[in-house]
Amino acid sequence: MITESYRIVGGNFERAGLASLRLKDRLKRIGVDSKLIRRIMIAAYEAEMNVVIHANSGNMWVRLDRGLIEIEVKDEGPGIPDIDQAMQEGFSTASPVARALGFGAGMGLPNIKRSSDIFKIETSVGQGTSIRSTIYLQLQDLHGSTRNSLSVKSELCNECLRCLHACPTGALRLRDGGPIILQHLCIDCTSCIDVCRTGALVVNYANNTISQPGNTSIVVPTAFFSQCGPDVSLHRVYEILMELGFRDVHPRGEWESALQKAVIQYANEEANVKPVISPVCPSVINLIETRFPSLIENLAPFLSPLQAALSVLDPKNTVVVAECPSQRSALLSRCTSAVEVMTPLALLQIVLPLLMRNAGKDNEKNRASPPSGRIIQPPSEVLQVSGIRSVMQILEKVENGLLCDVPVLEPYACGEGCFGSPLLLENPFYARYRSAPVHIDHYTLAKAVRRTYPFYPREGLRLDTDMTAAMKKLSKISELTRIFPGKDCGRCGAPTCSSLAEDIVMGRATREACIYLDCEKDGRR
Amino acid sequence: MEFDLSFIDGGAWMKLKELSEKVGAKTYTEGRHYCLEVRGVCAGDRMSDLLVNASEKELLVTGLNNEQIILVSQLMDVPAVCLLNSTVPSEELIKKAEADGITIIVSPYGMFETCGRIYRCLFCGGE
Repeated sequence: MITESYRIVGGNFERAGLASLRLKDRLKRIGVDSKLIRRIMIAAYEAEMNVVIHANSGNMWVRLDRGLIEIEVKDEGPGIPDIDQAMQEGFSTASPVARALGFGAGMGLPNIKRSSDIFKIETSVGQGTSIRSTIYLQLQDLHGSTRNSLSVKSELCNECLRCLHACPTGALRLRDGGPIILQHLCIDCTSCIDVCRTGALVVNYANNTISQPGNTSIVVPTAFFSQCGPDVSLHRVYEILMELGFRDVHPRGEWESALQKAVIQYANEEANVKPVISPVCPSVINLIETRFPSLIENLAPFLSPLQAALSVLDPKNTVVVAECPSQRSALLSRCTSAVEVMTPLALLQIVLPLLMRNAGKDNEKNRASPPSGRIIQPPSEVLQVSGIRSVMQILEKVENGLLCDVPVLEPYACGEGCFGSPLLLENPFYARYRSAPVHIDHYTLAKAVRRTYPFYPREGLRLDTDMTAAMKKLSKISELTRIFPGKDCGRCGAPTCSSLAEDIVMGRATREACIYLDCEKDGRR
Repeated sequence: MEFDLSFIDGGAWMKLKELSEKVGAKTYTEGRHYCLEVRGVCAGDRMSDLLVNASEKELLVTGLNNEQIILVSQLMDVPAVCLLNSTVPSEELIKKAEADGITIIVSPYGMFETCGRIYRCLFCGGE
C-alpha cells in the first residue's frame, strides 16, 4: 500500500495542478495502464482545481492499495449548499478570474463522477467539502500475483501426493518435503484442502475473534445456518448471531438469489452469447480466466455475491464469513484491505458455546417447524453445475459450442454449490436438505451489482510474453514429455510428466527429478 | 489518377510541421513532437472539455493562453497546442512547454478559421 498526501493552495493558479502531475509520475512508474491514468488524472485534476477555485486551502490524499486507487480531496472552503445542483452539468459558481482561465464550465464534479468507479461527496456549508473518488486498477506487473488465499504448512505434510493429483490446474508441486503453490496457476478452489488429510494445506485467514460486534454487520454463508445438527433450527443460529451483538446478519444467499435474477434478466435482454455464465463462484471465474479465456465473453458482468454485499455494506464495519479462499481473494483484489474475514469454523467456535449455554431454550415451535421449501430448485433456465471436475467438463463443452441450448450456466467449484466447501463440517447433501431461505424481517439490501471493470484473461498458462519464445518453449516441452515414461506418478513432485517437462523448460526443476529416467540410464529398467 | 489510400492508414494525417506552415501559424516551441502525425483536432475553450477529450494523437486548439493549458497537456499526454489570434504566449508558458517537450504554435486566425484551415489540410488535400 502506498499513501501520499499533497497540499493544495487555494487561489494559486500558477501552482495549480502540480499535485495531479506528481501523482501521474508515480502511477507511470508503477506501470498503471495509460488509459487508467487518464481517468485518474481527470478525477484528480478536477478535484484539485475545485480546491484552487473555491477554497482557501486543501489536501489531496492518495491511497494506492491492491487493485484500487483512492483519491480524497478535502478543503476548508465555503462548502456546497445544494449538492444536487452542483452535480448538474453546466452549473458553476466559479469566479470571473477562474472563468477567464477556462475553468468554471460546470463540468468538474460530473467529470469526476464519470471517471470514478465509486464517487462520494460530503460537504457542509462554512466548513468545507470532501470528495472521494475510487478507481479500480489493473496493475500490469502485479497482475495475478495477489489473488491467492491458500497457505502451506510444510511440517505437516506427509508427501502423500493426493493434492498434486487433485489440483484441477496443476498448480501444486511437491518440493523439499512440502507442497508449493504456483501462484499463477492456483484458482483458489479448495480441491487440495479437500483431499489433504494432515492439514498441510490451509486457508491463510484465521480471524478467531470479532473485534467489536456492536456496530458491525456480518455476512454469513447460507450453508452456515445448517451446520449445527438436527436439533438447532436455522432461526436459532440466526438468533444467536444477533445475540452476539451484530447490528445486522446477512445470509449471503440473499445476494446469490439477487445475482441469479439479474443474470437471467441479462441473458434474456442483453447477452448475445449462450450460455451466459453466472459469476457466482469466484473460483470458477479464476478457472475461466486461467484455462478458458475464450469464455470470458460468456461471463455475466456482475460482481460476485460477496463483492456486491460489500459494495452495499460498509467494508470497515462488516465481518465476512467466507467458507472458501476464492471468496476472500476476490474481495481483497477489489476491496479495501479493511475487511475482516473469518472462516466458518472460527465463527462456529464462537457460536457453539452460546448454543450449549442456552440449550433447551430453543422454543418448540421453531424446532418443530420443518425447514420450509427445503429443496431450493433453480429456475428452469438455469443449469447448475457443481464440483470442479464437472465444471471443467461442462466448460469444455461450452468452449466447443455444445451447450448452446442453455440460457444460464451457474457453475460452483465445490460440490452441492457452496455447501460442499471443505471448510464446512456438515455433509453437503444433508446441510442442503436442511437449508431454507432464512426469512428475515429486516428490509433486504441485497442486489446484484454490475462490474465496472472487465474480466481479464490471466497469464497463468502463458509460457513467455514473447510469442516466438513461447512457441520454442512449447516445442521443447513436448520434446521432453516424450522422453518421460508418461506414468504421471507424481514422484518427481509434479503432477504429470508434461508438467515436469514444463517445469524443466521454465527453470523450476531439473531432469534428474524423474526417477524412471535414472533407471534407464543405469540399464535396470 | 490518384487513389484515396487513407482508409488503409486509418484516416488522414499530416505532419505537424507541414500543417503548421500551411495554416500559417507561428512556432514558439518545436518540442519533441514537431514531426508528429496529426490525425485530428481537439478544440475548445473550456478546460474541463479539453481535459476529458484531449488525446495523445491530437492537436489541441484553444484560445486559453495560460499556463494551465500546459499542465492539462502534461496530464493528458497532449503533444502539441495551437493558440489563436496571434496571441503571444507568456514567457512562463513557453518555458514550461519547452521543459516538457510540448509543441506550441500560434495561429493568426480565430477558432473558426483555424479549425477550418486544419480540416481542409487534413481531409481536403489543403486546397
